[in-house]
Amino acid sequence: MGTSLQTMATEADSALIEHTILAREITADAERNPALHGAAYRSSFSQLALGIDMQHQSEAFVQQLGSGYTLPYAGVDTYLRLSPRTAVWGSASYTTGTQKEVRWNSTSDYELLQPYVLADSLGGDTHRERYAFSGGYATTVGSWLAGAEMLFRAEQEYRDYDPRMRGVVTDLTIRLGAGRQLNSYLLGAAFECNIYRQTNSVTFYSEEGVIPEYQMTGLGTEYSRFSGDKRSLYYDGGGVALLLSATPADHNGMYADLMLGEHRYQRKLAEYNSMPLTTLYSEQAALTLGWRNSQWALFAHADYTKRSGDEQIGGTSDARYFPTIGTLTMYKHQLLDAYLGAFYTQGSLSMMLRGGYQSSNEKYVYPERQLNYSRAYGELKAQWIKATSRQLSLTVNTRAAYEGQLTHKIYMPYANMKSSFIEMVNHTYRYAKANYTHFGANVRSDYHWSNSPYGAFAKLGVDLTLCSVGEHQTTLQGAIGITF
Amino acid sequence: MALVLFSACHQEENTIFTTASITLVSNEAANIGRVQAQAQITNVNTRQTTTTAAFNGATLQVELLRGAYEILIEGVATYTDANGTEHIRQFRAQTDYVELAAMDTNVTTLNMIFLD
Repeated sequence: MGTSLQTMATEADSALIEHTILAREITADAERNPALHGAAYRSSFSQLALGIDMQHQSEAFVQQLGSGYTLPYAGVDTYLRLSPRTAVWGSASYTTGTQKEVRWNSTSDYELLQPYVLADSLGGDTHRERYAFSGGYATTVGSWLAGAEMLFRAEQEYRDYDPRMRGVVTDLTIRLGAGRQLNSYLLGAAFECNIYRQTNSVTFYSEEGVIPEYQMTGLGTEYSRFSGDKRSLYYDGGGVALLLSATPADHNGMYADLMLGEHRYQRKLAEYNSMPLTTLYSEQAALTLGWRNSQWALFAHADYTKRSGDEQIGGTSDARYFPTIGTLTMYKHQLLDAYLGAFYTQGSLSMMLRGGYQSSNEKYVYPERQLNYSRAYGELKAQWIKATSRQLSLTVNTRAAYEGQLTHKIYMPYANMKSSFIEMVNHTYRYAKANYTHFGANVRSDYHWSNSPYGAFAKLGVDLTLCSVGEHQTTLQGAIGITF
Repeated sequence: MALVLFSACHQEENTIFTTASITLVSNEAANIGRVQAQAQITNVNTRQTTTTAAFNGATLQVELLRGAYEILIEGVATYTDANGTEHIRQFRAQTDYVELAAMDTNVTTLNMIFLD
């Protein structure tokens, strides 16, 4: 009996370590391929959590995302190894809460769709509600690995006072993957397909009148003809991605991951017979080359994203139907993130060091506007996982990082801009050219009941970001739950 | 799959400017001589207005962002009628909508309305 209890506790510890260890970050890109994800873990691990994520910024770093949030959630994640050849996994979560002081953005998923959002200068707090589900299956067929995964997100964001924005999002991603061992290497290939839709509107109930809603087109520009009182639109989009990887089967040797993706999102005016206003294109290529063994890893990574936006030229109206008479590529944004990194693990301790370079070159073609910056950064992460007794284990993660400005440039036709747009653009530039210092730590304690496969955990994390403009950000994460 | 990705790449439309050739015409004028007038050319989508007076005879050539436009031209023109009589008269020429979206030259004509 004593031996089986020890075994049970040890199995629970090893499953926790296998699923949460920092070294997972090295293989995360390859494991987006569901065939490889199915072979990634030897142990089953499931977790039910109740938690809360909170963030407060003394002033919004990005006005369009707001100055913070309070987002309680409940979620379950599971990874079940059904046999040495087959695994299934899945997750379900519900998140609800508020986003604070969102300005210049009345559309959900700003980071995905920017700059083509509906916006006003007033803004306010928004309520968010998100349902997310995912499930996957992978198995071995002969010498091949095969896997499939589906991820679904439904989200609504709304404000219950004027301007009453509402965004309702459905987001579906399907991945199909395959893998095969060739000599000492496991080669993987996966195809990802995404379908995205958002209905978005703003209404006003107050007798005090309405304010204009702008159809933003980038760097403080707007599609003037359909700005003002055209407040009902929707986004249709999605895209595809190809994931290729080569990893040493014995985790000892060179490895490589390549991702190529293309996504597009079209903004349409619902009240004008689905007239297309703009189309945003996002093309991404990411490459990681590295070497690893059971203790060390050295890696280089480069991620290039080219975002470009077409404005559709609206023709004359005919019974509320507007034909498109041409297309202009007016918005161009190129992002580069490249870093070198090293990972080391010894006993209970793992450490990861990264040093890199980021650049962002954003341009509106005519009348010309530019906002460019580049940064160098360094980041050190450390993780300590220790079983302090047969029942209790402790995981401590810490992080320190610094982002320092290298170059920055803004070019704006200020003389022809509205004062509110000048304030918005200058706010964006002020934070784009700032330096940032990050400190973070989170502690997780897991307790495993002696005669049961069940365990309980509590997690608390704090992150502090200091911005050189004199503002700061505090993030708190707390969760309790059971593991099984 | 690589072919799908390759074919999916966005083809940018970077020809954003076009040359508009706007010619004034009138049934009363057999031959329009000189035009001294100001043209206000407003892009109906961006609401940006271009103002110019650079007429060459009855024709105005201007480089514009490709798009749909409103045009208002007001001024004075000299012309000879069918009888060979020369006139100097104030006029206005206007359109609420004209497409100047072709990538090469867009040729359009506007009817003059004499104000006296």
